Amino acid sequence: MEFAAVVLPHLDAAYTLARYLTRNEADAQDIVQDASLRALKYFDGFRGTTASDGRAWFLTIVRNAVYTWGQRQGSEGRVTEFNEELHSDDVTRDPAATVDLRAALDALPLEFREVIVLRELQGLSYKEISDVTGVPVGTVMSRLSRARKRLQEALS
Amino acid sequence: MTHADFEAQVDAYLDGELAPADARALEAHLSQCVECARFRDRRLALRAAIKAQLPTLTAPDVLRQRIVHKRRFNVGWRSLAIAASLAVVAVGGWQLGFQSGAGEMLGDAVLTSHIRSLMPGHLTDVQSSDQHTVKPWFNGKLDYSPPVFDFADRGYPLLGGRLEYIDGRSVAALVYGRRQHMINVLLWPSDRGTAGPSAKTRQGYHVLHWTTRDYTYWVVSDLGLAELQEFNGLLQQAR
Repeated sequence: MEFAAVVLPHLDAAYTLARYLTRNEADAQDIVQDASLRALKYFDGFRGTTASDGRAWFLTIVRNAVYTWGQRQGSEGRVTEFNEELHSDDVTRDPAATVDLRAALDALPLEFREVIVLRELQGLSYKEISDVTGVPVGTVMSRLSRARKRLQEALS
Repeated sequence: MTHADFEAQVDAYLDGELAPADARALEAHLSQCVECARFRDRRLALRAAIKAQLPTLTAPDVLRQRIVHKRRFNVGWRSLAIAASLAVVAVGGWQLGFQSGAGEMLGDAVLTSHIRSLMPGHLTDVQSSDQHTVKPWFNGKLDYSPPVFDFADRGYPLLGGRLEYIDGRSVAALVYGRRQHMINVLLWPSDRGTAGPSAKTRQGYHVLHWTTRDYTYWVVSDLGLAELQEFNGLLQQAR
């Protein structure tokens, strides 16, 4: 497959992911552009054959670009590894801060936001999310479950 | 299974990720357990709210333009310029080496084809390491069915194939890899009698040419000549 045929159809998906992960319009654009250059550079390594292969491959590059950007940002960037235990269900929050779902999503840790966007907005399978995020399927499941619980609380 | 286990499965169930047997067990439980059913309904409400409040976005046109533009004229531009200068020198050198004859023209075309194939997105039309995928791909695109072999076990994996237009006809190009190097094999039917192989080197590219009773072969790469000849040997034996 040609580079253009693999990457260009997924620009919207890439932009959606970058926009929700960065919570910032300009950064999302820069990240998608940077990711498309990286995709071009590494295109020889792409071995997929279907459109969803191309989507997962490109979203992986976008997602990694977000994390690299996050490290540069410092504030958003995580020096330490994401701690699954720390983000267990019983974290107290100010209810007023979660008036709508968008605010609730933005308030989630990056690791929760990405599984919500990949699953709920882009319909990736658990396996594909595992490939994109580089965490086991079981972790994808538990993150999704806890992220949904947090969003649920914002609704009620 | 405990009640908590069922609840943990509701997400996977709603995501269509639960094995059929587990899904049936969960459905049976949901029909009896008010609490789990309520949990499921809240999840469904959440899903609807997400759909309503968290839209998928469209990449701004300016971003799309920047990417298409950058791809063609920034990243692409540099490799294009390098490749173009190589093509001029290489083709010029080739013509110096061989003053006349159809073979020289073909050599030009084959070398140009190889250089063009190295530009982003031009290497393969069908990307597969499976000879049984690559060979049928040519069906209906060529008036012959080129022999296709994979040499991954010898360190020369088949990467794919594409169509080329050489000498006034569409021909098969097979792409092989060797570490970071690409090898292009162009072949088409020939009835001009067996010949070769002969080797030429121009500007870092080696070009091997030989003709069997059935096909004429052109093999081009920047790989070292010894390795390229080893590859050529595999190709000749594979027939």
